Amino acid sequence: MRFLDTPFRQALAVLVVAYVLIDFGIPYIPPLFGVDSAPVPNTVVLQYLLTVLAGLLLWVSDNDERWTEFKRPIQEVLVRPDKRVGRAVLLVAVPVLVAFVTWGRVKPEVTAPPSFRSIHPAPPRSITFQGETMQLAGLENPLRSEGSLEAHNEVGKRVYYQNCLPCHGDALDGLGHYAHGFNPAPLNFQDVGTIAQLTESFVFWRVAKGGPGLPREGTPWNSAMPAWENLLTADEIWSVILFLYEQTGNDPRTWEEAGAEEGEH
Amino acid sequence: MDARTAGPGAGTRRAAALAAGLLCAAALALVALAPTPAGAQVEGAAVYDRWCAGCHGVDGDGQGPAAGRMLPRPRDFTVGLYQIRSTGTGELPTDEDILRVIDEGMPGTAMPGWSEVLTRAERNALVEYLKTFSRFFASSPEPEPLDFPRAPGSSEEKLVRGREVFELIECNRCHGPAGRGDGTSSPTLENDEGHPTVAADLTEGWMFNGGGTVEDIYRRLRTGLDGTPMPSFSDLVDAEVISSEDLWSLAHYVRSLSPGERPPVREVVTARFAEEGPVPTTPDDDAWDEVERYWVPMVGQILLPPRWFNPRVDGLWVQALHDGQELAVLVTWSDPSRSPDPAWDEWATKVMEVMDHPDAGSTAGAGPGDRLTVQFPATATEGMERPFFLQGDARRPAYLWTWRSWQAGPVEAEARGLGAEQPQPADGQDVTTAAVWEAGQWRVLFSRSLTTEGEDDPPFAVGTAIPMAFQAWDGDNGEQGAQGSVSTWYFLSLQQPTPMAAYVAPVVALALAFGLLLLMVRRAQRREEGAQAPASRV
Repeated sequence: MRFLDTPFRQALAVLVVAYVLIDFGIPYIPPLFGVDSAPVPNTVVLQYLLTVLAGLLLWVSDNDERWTEFKRPIQEVLVRPDKRVGRAVLLVAVPVLVAFVTWGRVKPEVTAPPSFRSIHPAPPRSITFQGETMQLAGLENPLRSEGSLEAHNEVGKRVYYQNCLPCHGDALDGLGHYAHGFNPAPLNFQDVGTIAQLTESFVFWRVAKGGPGLPREGTPWNSAMPAWENLLTADEIWSVILFLYEQTGNDPRTWEEAGAEEGEH
Repeated sequence: MDARTAGPGAGTRRAAALAAGLLCAAALALVALAPTPAGAQVEGAAVYDRWCAGCHGVDGDGQGPAAGRMLPRPRDFTVGLYQIRSTGTGELPTDEDILRVIDEGMPGTAMPGWSEVLTRAERNALVEYLKTFSRFFASSPEPEPLDFPRAPGSSEEKLVRGREVFELIECNRCHGPAGRGDGTSSPTLENDEGHPTVAADLTEGWMFNGGGTVEDIYRRLRTGLDGTPMPSFSDLVDAEVISSEDLWSLAHYVRSLSPGERPPVREVVTARFAEEGPVPTTPDDDAWDEVERYWVPMVGQILLPPRWFNPRVDGLWVQALHDGQELAVLVTWSDPSRSPDPAWDEWATKVMEVMDHPDAGSTAGAGPGDRLTVQFPATATEGMERPFFLQGDARRPAYLWTWRSWQAGPVEAEARGLGAEQPQPADGQDVTTAAVWEAGQWRVLFSRSLTTEGEDDPPFAVGTAIPMAFQAWDGDNGEQGAQGSVSTWYFLSLQQPTPMAAYVAPVVALALAFGLLLLMVRRAQRREEGAQAPASRV
């Protein structure tokens, strides 16, 4: 560790390690908890590094001796005759870097408008389903209290495999063989943030009305989900909803839970 | 302790008994833990019924409820015929072969990979269970995999030789002269079940159902894809018509026809500003070779009736250029037929017969021809709002450019819903098209002025993100009307000519940084001089 024997080199090493950890290390954390990862945005990296730098400066200037020691290599490069090459490199490299960063900031570039997606837009109180008014608030899946659950699930499975599978996939993970063609991507029902958070009447509304029936805050039309009321009966939709919960092992949100949470707000 | 209280003889006996007991218990535990084939089959059956039967059917006959909406169909396990193997043609696959397909899925088909969904034990159990559907596994000796060496390196000479072998053993008969599946035999291809079968598009290696590496390709050349028209070429090697080195060269050549990896999907298609002059007016212009191309994956229109589950066009390459006056968009895609082509009529009829038709609609066979539609919002959109990606909606119409292989114009139209197109009047048509079909590929060029006099033509402003979506039809695959391929919205961005300020700013920043640094050095040196005169200079 002879390399790390001066405060300047130590500070430099800390900065490099911090950069590697922030830029390359952090993206590895979410998968440990089963969450999808994404690269850390450059602005965040910059912010973290500035924080680290501030901490380092506090540390090196903490006592006079270390401060002098820290400055010495900088001072040497600036003045010592035998460091002429280092000085020249510094004089060229830093301005070139500055120019490069400036170019990156001023060159014209167009990015897609950000597409925020409201995964759980507020549902309406009632909808018109195939010509009939349907109250959503308090509505339960009628098939849960009627006939054989197993038979309904069997129907739901058929409906799912014939209609939903191309996008939402065999594993109900939103990775069907057509999923790559659609933006925004089809919903992953295995994810605890999707149907497990919703009442079955909410899911019915989303299935029946699809992308075209999204309210304004759900970014109108910005979903490839069909309005299934044009293709399926109410019973078929309720059975496929049963199947979604059954196959993923999720439980729908109950109206008691929904009510309790409303009360808290 | 026992030994001490009960004497040495009793101690050894007890220890022996204990050891024997432990051994028995361990043996029992091992027997219980080791998946006996019977136990694995029971577990495999449960996994199968839950996750596989929807497509492959509870009886393993490939007749699950989803099967009729897929082509190629899900595998029928009862006949014991497997495409992706490491064994010779006509032989059963090894357990590893079956497991590999379960793990990785089959790209280009509806079969996903299961390695992230099911545990290793579940997948192993599944292999055991799948084998019970066919009597051949129980009655045949364990299949022996062929010997596959590692891939030798590639070279220019090998690619040239590979191309020769491609023609020598007549790959082009089905896969076409440039590998896009447009060979003269293509329209007649069918598998053992009599279903129409597509010769793979060799320019889309990421869609190969058995994998797209050189080793994967070589293995398929050796084993064939049993049950399909793709033969094994091992017999030609055995008969010394070609060598196995030739097959490696061929594998390298086939690999070279596709990009290195699955092309990334990028949301913004940039139309570069052509500083050197006017935009090209033909699809063949060499200038296009220099223009960045963007991959747009396409899938079947399965939102509105009549839905379409067997799209032919699985993606488009999009390129765009503008010169400040004119915008040119070039769209390139693989299509094995120049529709309408009578040679393909029967194909379309067979496709219509084999596919389920859940919605009322045309099942007539071939459509009128090939078609491509590019969509933009007809009126300016704000923020995230845009028309429905299937030709707009009542509130937000879409502005369409349509090219048809069977008739000229009208190109420009407005639509408020799929199929509800209103062509603009003949004297208001401002878009020109130019199309070339060659070796299984369409290249279609659209050109329009950035601003026109037509009041229904949205202007193309430089430096903004303009929503853009696509639809494609292959008439000879039975596609027309609502039945074709679609994409959701992308964005077209017309590059701004770089303003002078963008060049000046970095130069100024460079000069400033250099000046400051120089100042710093001088000051430090002067201070040093003051402290211990005389000293050196820069």
